[in-house]
Amino acid sequence: MTLTTRAPGLFGQATRSLASTEPRILSLPRHHGPAQCRRAYTPAPRPQPRNAANPLLNSKNFSSSAFLGRDKTMGELKSRNRTGPFSWKAALLFVLTGAGMMVYFKIEKERLERKRIAEMSKGYGKPKVGGPFVLKDLNGNEFTQEDLKGKYSFVYFGFTHCPDICPDELDKMAEIIEKVKLETKDEKLFLPVFITCDPVRDTPEVLREYLKEFHPGIVGLTGTYEQVKNVCRQYRVYFSTPRDVKPGEDYLVDHSIYFYLMDPDNDFVECIGRQDTPESAAKVVLEHIKDWQREGKPLKTE
Amino acid sequence: MGWLPWSSSSSSAADKKASDGGRIAPDRSSRAKCYEGRDLFFSCLDRNDILDGIKDDKEARRKCAKEVAQFEEACSQAWVKYFKEKRVMEFNRDKTIERIQKEDADKVQELKSKGWGASK
Repeated sequence: MTLTTRAPGLFGQATRSLASTEPRILSLPRHHGPAQCRRAYTPAPRPQPRNAANPLLNSKNFSSSAFLGRDKTMGELKSRNRTGPFSWKAALLFVLTGAGMMVYFKIEKERLERKRIAEMSKGYGKPKVGGPFVLKDLNGNEFTQEDLKGKYSFVYFGFTHCPDICPDELDKMAEIIEKVKLETKDEKLFLPVFITCDPVRDTPEVLREYLKEFHPGIVGLTGTYEQVKNVCRQYRVYFSTPRDVKPGEDYLVDHSIYFYLMDPDNDFVECIGRQDTPESAAKVVLEHIKDWQREGKPLKTE
Repeated sequence: MGWLPWSSSSSSAADKKASDGGRIAPDRSSRAKCYEGRDLFFSCLDRNDILDGIKDDKEARRKCAKEVAQFEEACSQAWVKYFKEKRVMEFNRDKTIERIQKEDADKVQELKSKGWGASK
């Protein structure tokens, strides 16, 4: 009895291996149902010239059966089943292709997710975090938002008289700097910045001494009370520094304790908080840097 | 830096001026000294069952006189106050977390006893 129709192999080995499970299904009795479902447009059991001339050429291919139909007996199916459409090559190809696709889709998905976060942070045209400011670096030179452009910058707000959180976070910052430097093999591409919230006490000299203990690469910035207040507002940092302090008065400053990762356009990308370890933070930074490089966008390296 | 870690104190640190008029903050070693004084003081409070070093200041000073002195010697006033407040805050926070976790566990137990989540 003619069981089903076959077409000569149009697609070669790979197609065969992909369709390899079908003969087992077909060898079951009462297979007409499913077979017909699959080819609703083909009158299923119909007389056709038997052609067993080249069983090796016979490949599973349902779409073309209407045009170049060839028969297959149960015997042929069985013999085909014994040797099997499987070969180790086909199986290997199948597994490798599958694994490759899975890895690729996973990476792509993660990249798109990061891109989405970065894009989302950009808002509609105008960054919500960060903006124009004028401060002074530790050598007394003017430092503005323009000086952050072209690199990934990592902005932290704090003050030197901070009891425990800032020192912890700055130690973390130092580790992140080292990790990023090691990975990118370029220390100029990542710009860590410390902006003081307490300009009265934190003069350039004080800041320099303080930051030296953590990492020599951290750029310290200070300014007048108004300038610092402005930059804190730009970065949405809670600012509570008392304006008029008597000399020698001891006080603390409340402030937000996030690192702000800014891209080379100086748009806000992501926050790094207390919950991040140096490892997880460096990973986030590196991924954004790599995405940026992969998209072929420029980075200042000096 | 001019001062030795074991002789650094809040008053000398607070008075310390940079040549450009800023005030020099405690460096790494004096911070470590301060943390050490704080930990000693707090473990004394723990031993005496005192939580709030500000509210129960008198009692704390009576029972942990030596530790208080060392703590206040090693840290600036603002830091002393900050750490005492933080101790209370963290205690309450941990209490709250503990309570929520216990409530959660009780709820799970209760639901399980009612037959929720049992395998069929």
